[in-house]
Amino acid sequence: MGVRGLATVRAMAPATLLEVEDLTYSYGDRHAVRGANLQCHRGEILGLLGPNGAGKTTLLSCVAGLLGGFRGTMQFAGAPFRPAHDAAARLQLGLVPQELALYDDLSARENLAFFARMQGVPAERRPAAVRRGLELAGLVDRADDRVRTFSGGMKRRLNLAIGDLHGPELLLLDEPTVGVDPQSRNHLFESLQALRAAGRTLVYTSHYMEEVQRLCDRVAVMHDGRVVAVGTTAELAARAGTPEANLEQVFLTLTGRSLRDDA
Amino acid sequence: MNLFAAAATIAQKDLRLFFRDRTGMLLGLLLPIALVTVFGMVMKFAFGGGSGMPKVVVYVVDEDGSDASAKFVAGLRAVDMLSVQPRAGEPAIAAAAARQLVHDGEAHHAILVGKGYGDALADGKEPPLTVVRDPGRAMEARLVGIGLMQATMAAAEGRSMPWLMGSVMRRQGMSEAGVARVRTSMQMVQDVIDRFVAGDGELKAADAAKPATAGFDMASLFEDMVPVVHEDVQPPARPKNLNHQLAQSVAGMAVMMLMFGLMACSVTLLQERDQGTLRRLLVSGAPRQALLLGKFVFCLLVGLLQLAIMFAYGELVFGIGVFRDPITLVVLAVTWAAAATAFGMLVAVWADTPKQAEGVSTLLILVMAALGGCWFPIQIADLPWWADVVTHATLTHWAMAGFQGMFWHQKACTDPVLLRAIAVQWGFVLVATWLAWRIWRRRFTGG
Ligand SMILES: Nc1ncnc2c1ncn2[C@@H]1O[C@H](COP(=O)(O)OP(=O)(O)OP(=O)(O)O)[C@@H](O)[C@H]1O
Ligand SMILES: [Mg+2]
Repeated sequence: MGVRGLATVRAMAPATLLEVEDLTYSYGDRHAVRGANLQCHRGEILGLLGPNGAGKTTLLSCVAGLLGGFRGTMQFAGAPFRPAHDAAARLQLGLVPQELALYDDLSARENLAFFARMQGVPAERRPAAVRRGLELAGLVDRADDRVRTFSGGMKRRLNLAIGDLHGPELLLLDEPTVGVDPQSRNHLFESLQALRAAGRTLVYTSHYMEEVQRLCDRVAVMHDGRVVAVGTTAELAARAGTPEANLEQVFLTLTGRSLRDDA
Repeated sequence: MNLFAAAATIAQKDLRLFFRDRTGMLLGLLLPIALVTVFGMVMKFAFGGGSGMPKVVVYVVDEDGSDASAKFVAGLRAVDMLSVQPRAGEPAIAAAAARQLVHDGEAHHAILVGKGYGDALADGKEPPLTVVRDPGRAMEARLVGIGLMQATMAAAEGRSMPWLMGSVMRRQGMSEAGVARVRTSMQMVQDVIDRFVAGDGELKAADAAKPATAGFDMASLFEDMVPVVHEDVQPPARPKNLNHQLAQSVAGMAVMMLMFGLMACSVTLLQERDQGTLRRLLVSGAPRQALLLGKFVFCLLVGLLQLAIMFAYGELVFGIGVFRDPITLVVLAVTWAAAATAFGMLVAVWADTPKQAEGVSTLLILVMAALGGCWFPIQIADLPWWADVVTHATLTHWAMAGFQGMFWHQKACTDPVLLRAIAVQWGFVLVATWLAWRIWRRRFTGG
């Protein structure tokens, strides 16, 4: 499909890529997500904020089809979305998990090649995908070193690159910038912006307010298992009644000042 | 903080962690108890009688049915080292059936008490006795020989001494004159034995006219004291280096160690979950069955490699004829690798942590190894019925039945005994894999 063809499809496709309605999930009797609603627009970076334990990871896991037995509905590009039961649906998703999900005793290249295969990249496009992954991770020089020998930041970058290997339409990123230095962070930012420029839709959780403010088109704030506010930083500031568009102030106003570990 | 305070604090923390993992802790404490129990039982039943030797399983057929033959059989039952079958009160079996049991390795020996046993004893003649044996079981043969002597003494109440000793001496190469001398005087017999035992060569010197006889063989004296007709079951052509214990050890260690090896492989499933790669794989477009199937194939291949290495080594060092029948070997190896894999997968998906999986599997593997006959041939020990049921319920029992059937009894995979062992293992593979799949879906994939 040529670029023009792609553009036509985009133009025809609904603006909402992912729609989550009334999602509820409990671990035993601990309610992690309670009736969350979320709309994610095509081509945007949607920031998902919330205190520790607000249910962000749980929400992303439900969307990725990793947790069964939730209540609520999900739609992807206007059609019902059941990734747990539908391999084709999963191919439209990329996940960058909160943990460093890598094989420590494989090299960066081997990790990329393995996941490229698993994530359905056709054989003839695999070498290019691996190369692009190494570039995205900034690991071209260390491609054949074992992951075990990498620093935390290098592993983070590789973690991100693997999630995007197959060029999914929707990329779910769970705190992809934890524990990285400003250089790596910048590199990751540029990578994410490049992905958006390439037409990807990103849902992105983070606890770094400036980072979210700088990167995201819109922000959703979760609190106690619910999405309590969605909008641009300016819209949220207006709603929260905070004087300037300072996301941290907005966040504290919406979610309270006490420790929020437990939903 | 001084050294001791710091050390005490660390120890306290470690104790807290130790007691927090209840399952892990219980397993750690339970393992020795379970092993002691299983070992104790096995030793009690298999190595009973305080002789420190495994009991020899002997099937006895009394074709005479006289008082004397009954006394003889009762005498055999009284022998500590023998487990006489069928037990008192159980239905008797026919000579042909007893022969078959020895042939199939279900019994070490069969003793056929021939018609006319009672009359022969009364006349002071050698009674008709046939011992059916597998020539490979020389150890057991000696114990049976001693048992025969004790039972004969009991049956003949001392009247047996003349012919007993006479035939022994004849067997040891004594001339007929010597035999006659032995038979005339019980006392003299005793002297002769004493002198033989002391290594006295006087009698041999007296018989110098006769061509050289072998030195006095104490062991064979006992083995051959009661004159019997020996009937060797036609043993399969075994490699000359092979004996029963060796075949047992190679098969037993291969069977047990494969379970440990494959457990370590199965646990990578839990490691993948803990390190997060499992989530990645679940989100990937790959069919979710592929993840479990992939692990299965991985374990199976590692298992086959491990078996290949072990058997190649066994062949190289001991020359036990592993590769005599490659088809049977491959069938048995694939079967056992699949069964051990299914076991490992089932434990892995059931456990919450790798530590738990390792604890539970160590316990199960050691118990199954002991009960299934990996350590000693418990299969034909004299077990109470319930213990017999338990041993047959272990996976290792069927693996051992397969490998011993091939190594020792030289059976092919088309033999009914092997077919049954193979079928039981594949049955387990199907059930365990299905269960593992169900648990995996529920606990790992959230679907
Ligand atoms: N595996 C689990 N078993 C039981 N409870 C869980 C599990 N995972 C999360 N929870 C609970 O669910 C709630 C939501 O957790 P979740 O990880 O989704 O929060 P989060 O917003 O991602 O937090 P963080 O910012 O700290 O990553 C919390 O109360 C947490 O204790
Ligand atoms: Mg989280």
